[in-house]
Amino acid sequence: MSELIEVRGLEKSFDQPVLRGVDFTAAAGTATAVLGPSGSGKTTLLRSLNVLETPDAGLVRISDARLDFGEPPAGKAAYRQAVKALRARSGMVFQSHNLFPHRTVLENLIEGPVQVQRRDRAEAVEDARALLAQVGLAGRDDAYPAQLSGGQQQRVGIARALALRPEVLLLDEPTSALDPELVGEVLDVVRDLAQQGWTLVIVTHEVRFARDVADQVLFLDEGRIVERGGPEVLTDPREERTRRFLSRVLDPG
Amino acid sequence: MVLLLGLLAVLAPGLALTPAGAAPADGDQPRVVRVGTEGVYPPFSYRDPESNELTGFDVDIVRAVAEEAGWDLRFVEAPFDSLFPALDSGRLDVIANQVTVTPEREARYLFSTPYTYSRGVVVTAADTDDITSLEDLEGRTSAQTASSNWAEVARNAGAKVQYVQDFGPGVELLIQGRVDAIVNDNIAVLDYLATSGTDEVKIAGPAGEEVLEQALAFTRRDTQLREEADAAIAALTEDGTLAEISEGYFGADVTVEGGTTDVDVQASDTRGRWEVVQDTAWPMFVGLLKGTLPLTAASFVIGLALGLAAALARLSSIRALDWIARFYISVIRGTPLLVQLFIVFYGLPQIGVDLDPYPAAIIALSLNVGGYAAEILRAAILSVPRGQYEAATVIGMDYGQSMRRVVLPQAARIAVPPLSNTLLSLIKDTSLASLVLVPELFREAQVTAAATTEYLPLYALAALYFWVVCYVVSVAQGPLERRLSRYVA
Repeated sequence: MSELIEVRGLEKSFDQPVLRGVDFTAAAGTATAVLGPSGSGKTTLLRSLNVLETPDAGLVRISDARLDFGEPPAGKAAYRQAVKALRARSGMVFQSHNLFPHRTVLENLIEGPVQVQRRDRAEAVEDARALLAQVGLAGRDDAYPAQLSGGQQQRVGIARALALRPEVLLLDEPTSALDPELVGEVLDVVRDLAQQGWTLVIVTHEVRFARDVADQVLFLDEGRIVERGGPEVLTDPREERTRRFLSRVLDPG
Repeated sequence: MVLLLGLLAVLAPGLALTPAGAAPADGDQPRVVRVGTEGVYPPFSYRDPESNELTGFDVDIVRAVAEEAGWDLRFVEAPFDSLFPALDSGRLDVIANQVTVTPEREARYLFSTPYTYSRGVVVTAADTDDITSLEDLEGRTSAQTASSNWAEVARNAGAKVQYVQDFGPGVELLIQGRVDAIVNDNIAVLDYLATSGTDEVKIAGPAGEEVLEQALAFTRRDTQLREEADAAIAALTEDGTLAEISEGYFGADVTVEGGTTDVDVQASDTRGRWEVVQDTAWPMFVGLLKGTLPLTAASFVIGLALGLAAALARLSSIRALDWIARFYISVIRGTPLLVQLFIVFYGLPQIGVDLDPYPAAIIALSLNVGGYAAEILRAAILSVPRGQYEAATVIGMDYGQSMRRVVLPQAARIAVPPLSNTLLSLIKDTSLASLVLVPELFREAQVTAAATTEYLPLYALAALYFWVVCYVVSVAQGPLERRLSRYVA
């Protein structure tokens, strides 16, 4: 159990195979960056970790929650329980934030803790305020999401995911829907989280950011992990495919 | 229809179900007898202009009979064409409304000793001179109430029959030249001429030589009630009560054969137009408060719940639920509300589901609202982005929580404008409830219009009431929409 996240032989097909047997592990307190060309399966991989996509085969374990999709537990109730356990151990930040537009910033943060985790409301509010301060949005409790900039919305999205006190934070391209000048403020928040020792899995196109922050880099292509290693994968890749991808991303045109 | 019944079975326990037919007299308790009468057929059955109380020759007769026989009377006012279905379905025990005894009716109903002997007359516009008898109706158009014996008489004379709800609207058609004649009872016609003071229509001649008999009508099962009525009528004839009532209305005794040739009918209503409108404004307002508004509120709330259930069923991954909901929505949207209302009120008693007027109207209107609201709500739910479901899912919400806390609040904003359309339709559709014996706003207007012939001012007043209510509702829509949209930048 030294590794907090364990993924074995993950397979998923839509019309054609998207994941063709993905294995990796991640230790507690590390940041894992998942990179790869579009269509390589990185978002599907991330969404398999909290079962927003249901893999066809393979195993996912986060902490003590474990689900083998090849041999799912017998009975609907047991399966649902296993899915619920995986989701309870992870928080998710979406590409397009998916904040609840009809609730204020504070309400977005306490919705899960109060409604799902049944935590004391006053305590949840206190937690939420601390998280808002951490992402640089202290005092914006009563704003509605539509009144915030894209970068602010995404920072609230991060705070909402953290409010559930997950063991792992999953981030699905957290900056790709943002205007370029807003990317930095979001990346700064993620960098802070990594430094504070949160376990992160980040699907991203920001190569420089991944190089700075990631303890582990997964390079995906056509549903397989082509290269897995430390941040040096992004400076000195062993695989030709990784090299080609990096040169295209870092030096477009 | 299976689904309709299923939904009814679900709804029914919450609503008052009455056993078919009134219970027979139990010990000293007088038997409750429900009397059906039009209330819009002066001078036989109408509302007194001063007091707005039900009165008239037939009403007085049946009251006297009840007193003699020891019945506890309950009057139910309904259009003539609704009276026989109501008697058939056990909502009435007797009809007192100048029901003419015919062989066809005798095969289906029991009749008391007749209490009126009358003759038919042919009524035409004042300037029609080529119709003077029943024979002249061959190939002409005649305005009649569908289930009245006079419709039969007109048809047999070769007339094309145009169906109307009661006598008054028929006369309007006559004046407007849309029909050629009306065949009706001479007393009713004389009363109309006296009340309206019109010189635009006239009695053109007799409708045959036959003397017709009018009597109280009972179901074939109710021989006991008929016997009690006959005994009472015999006693009241003996002591002169019937003759006295008849003299009071017609200056002649129409309760014995041969007394109808020379009747003197007093106008049953002598008020001027504005007096009529003023006097009717309050009863109509009461009809609005006691009929229209509660019907609307109850039907809208229940209908929304049904609509939401149907919308969620349509969106369900369970095939059977989807198909049931599709069928329900299709039936409701593909059939007239009036037909739905009649099925619930007049049809279901035949399979043992016997509902009072209010519950029946609420069920029919709710089912109708539900069918339309379902599609509105379904579209609104579909308009909530997929990411919202995902966000709810990853914070651990189950289906119920995501719907209640995330999806429906956002769908509500989208659904309010089309739902307020549904509400406005519903407010106006409640006027149909008058046909299943619910006394609401429009029914009050009809009652007085029939007695006074003041159609335009009274119906205009009814329209004004409806318009004001709808206007208030549409004004309230604005703040509600703003409140539901307060989070939209």
